[in-house]
Amino acid sequence: MAPDTEIFFEHAALGKPLAWSTGLHVGFVAFLVLSAWILPGHRGDGWGAGGGGEAMGVALVSNIPLPSTQIQTQNVLANDSKGLTKSQPQQVEKEPDAIPIQDKETKNKKKPVVSASKQAKPEPEPETNEVPYGQGGPVSGPYGTFNENGAKGGFGFTGGGGDFGTRFGWYVQVVQRKVSENWLKYEIDPRIQTANRVYVVFDITRSGQPSNVQVEQSSGVPSLDQSAVRAIQRIDTFGPLPPDYSGSKVSVEFWFDYKR
Amino acid sequence: MIAVTVTGARLKFLEYRNTIYMTEPMLNKSRGPARPGFSIVLLLLAGLTVPFLAALPCSAQDWIRTGTGLGVDKVRIAVPDFKPSTSDPKNPDLLKVFNDTLFNDLDNAGIFDLVSKSFYPLDVPGNPSEVHFDAWSNPPVTASMLVFGDLGITGGNVTVHGWLFDVKNTASPQVLGKQYNDQATTDAARTIAHRFANEIIFRLGGGITGIAESKIYFVSERSGHKEIWVMDYDGANQHAVTNLGTISLSPRISPDGSRLAFSALTKTSWEIKMFSIELNRLVSFPAFGGTNLSPSWTPDGSKLAFSSSRGGDPNIYTVDAAGANLHRLTSGKGPDVSPTWNRKTGSQLAFVSGRTGLPQVYTMEGDGTNIQRVTDQGYAVSPSWSPNGQFLALAWFRKYGPGAPGANDIYLMDIASKQWVQLTHDGGRNDFPSWSPDGRHIVFQSSRSGSEQIWTMLADGTKIQQLTFSGRNSQPNWSWK
Repeated sequence: MAPDTEIFFEHAALGKPLAWSTGLHVGFVAFLVLSAWILPGHRGDGWGAGGGGEAMGVALVSNIPLPSTQIQTQNVLANDSKGLTKSQPQQVEKEPDAIPIQDKETKNKKKPVVSASKQAKPEPEPETNEVPYGQGGPVSGPYGTFNENGAKGGFGFTGGGGDFGTRFGWYVQVVQRKVSENWLKYEIDPRIQTANRVYVVFDITRSGQPSNVQVEQSSGVPSLDQSAVRAIQRIDTFGPLPPDYSGSKVSVEFWFDYKR
Repeated sequence: MIAVTVTGARLKFLEYRNTIYMTEPMLNKSRGPARPGFSIVLLLLAGLTVPFLAALPCSAQDWIRTGTGLGVDKVRIAVPDFKPSTSDPKNPDLLKVFNDTLFNDLDNAGIFDLVSKSFYPLDVPGNPSEVHFDAWSNPPVTASMLVFGDLGITGGNVTVHGWLFDVKNTASPQVLGKQYNDQATTDAARTIAHRFANEIIFRLGGGITGIAESKIYFVSERSGHKEIWVMDYDGANQHAVTNLGTISLSPRISPDGSRLAFSALTKTSWEIKMFSIELNRLVSFPAFGGTNLSPSWTPDGSKLAFSSSRGGDPNIYTVDAAGANLHRLTSGKGPDVSPTWNRKTGSQLAFVSGRTGLPQVYTMEGDGTNIQRVTDQGYAVSPSWSPNGQFLALAWFRKYGPGAPGANDIYLMDIASKQWVQLTHDGGRNDFPSWSPDGRHIVFQSSRSGSEQIWTMLADGTKIQQLTFSGRNSQPNWSWK
């Protein structure tokens, strides 16, 4: 009896620790799995991620006094490259002079008479305003506008000399570029998504300084109006007016379209 | 008076509508037979406008109407080679120098889109009567501006005629016409090309003078000692300024270009030295004791700020250009070094301080009040204030420490908004940025080529160019004009 009892005893003594051990192992594995699942440890997130909590936003500083293309083109098919090819009119090949064969009786075939109405059809005039490949999209500056038709275009004028925009298109472009560069869009209320056009008028003196900056038509958003006026006021000079120009000042009406 | 104003207002309103219509891209670009209605409306509008115009009294005032969102592009400019105007045998040499310099100057200006020379028509104009406008304004050139002219040597003197034409405006194309006379040397040809390029940049760049005649001062080791050297902005014409046989650092040219302040190691300590460019020798400047480093001129040239450890920790001091009236601006623990004045107002300073541990960039008023920290983390040194007062260029380790990603790069920070943008990427250690007088370029020191050399770039980080190649060169400083 005694041995049996002993054996039984040994069995009993082994079973309890075994159960404990299994339970602990299972528990440990479960802990490992759960902790990997739940706790957000280092999983390579830090690499190249942007900085501590106090980092200031990275925003492209737009107003380095360098020109930057604001709108490349709206035409999705157009790209930056200026097109080189121009479609040529089809060459009409002249028929080779045929020598009539002597021994054959040549029938005088009457050539079909070209009717007068057909002949009078005029050649379509070549378009002077065609857009080469890649140059579509919005109008860029004064050249797009009064390239062909003289004074008509984005730049109206009144009074005296009156032809500033046509004669000194390059100066108009300078004004446009410079104001665009100096417009700091971060001054505008960040909640504004889009706003009406704001019109600002100012004078450019003979030496090129802007003066009398006024809002002509408000956008209804005070911070946008402010930023537009400041954009002009921030400019020291546009460069002296062209020496050939006789007037003492030029008035500019500048509009600002804002869209976030 | 009131009546006139009212008429003016009505007229403006009409024109105003006209203006808006005309800037519609569709109308302008594809105005064809398919839209007769529109043309009629326009004609009517124009018809209404013209009588008003005629009836208006002469007020001698021009109006321009323009706006944003029209696409701001670089000016597309064609610069064909200048032609010889005489038959002197030395013409080709000077023409080569002149043409290369002019082309490079305009290319480096940052505001032009230069049309490649391979697109140009074969007959290049030498004077206004030879310009075929269509050939330049149509594809493939599609230039809006054309620079052309001639150069000729007669009796040891060179004469250059240069024109800038707006080729899309055939009615009055001339924007600029210039004539230059000088001795027939290559140096003179370079100078003339620089001057003419500056005129073009001044006109088309909105009244900002070009940098073609500016200089860059820097520290070079090529003679065996660290001496101050100078070169043209494009890297040409490099030569030594000082020859002290010691160590000279941080050159700073005065705003009028007449004097050069720098720090040099003397027998006892680091002192501020003053070199007269006009006299070509050192002029007297007091020794303050302690370590005196990195001088910085106010925009009017009347004062210098520098860091000095004469009172213990390095602090920022100011002093007159003559060396009198020493004032201490900062105090307290931690070193304060590398001051730089606001180049627009001359009333604020940016400087580097280690008061919180790693060096950070701070700004303060010219009297030492209102100290504000502008960098939030990392290791930021070498601030340089932009000519328009709006930006700080600085060298920054955004993440500093062992194993941290990134490197020492040049950053640009808008002071008012604290927005920043990284200008250099993946190119060795970049340090000591300095602004060009036009605010469009930055010169800096970089080890991207293997050794420390001077490089320039546009202020948006593009168009990076190496200027120096021999020896080790560092700490560039761009002249003020």
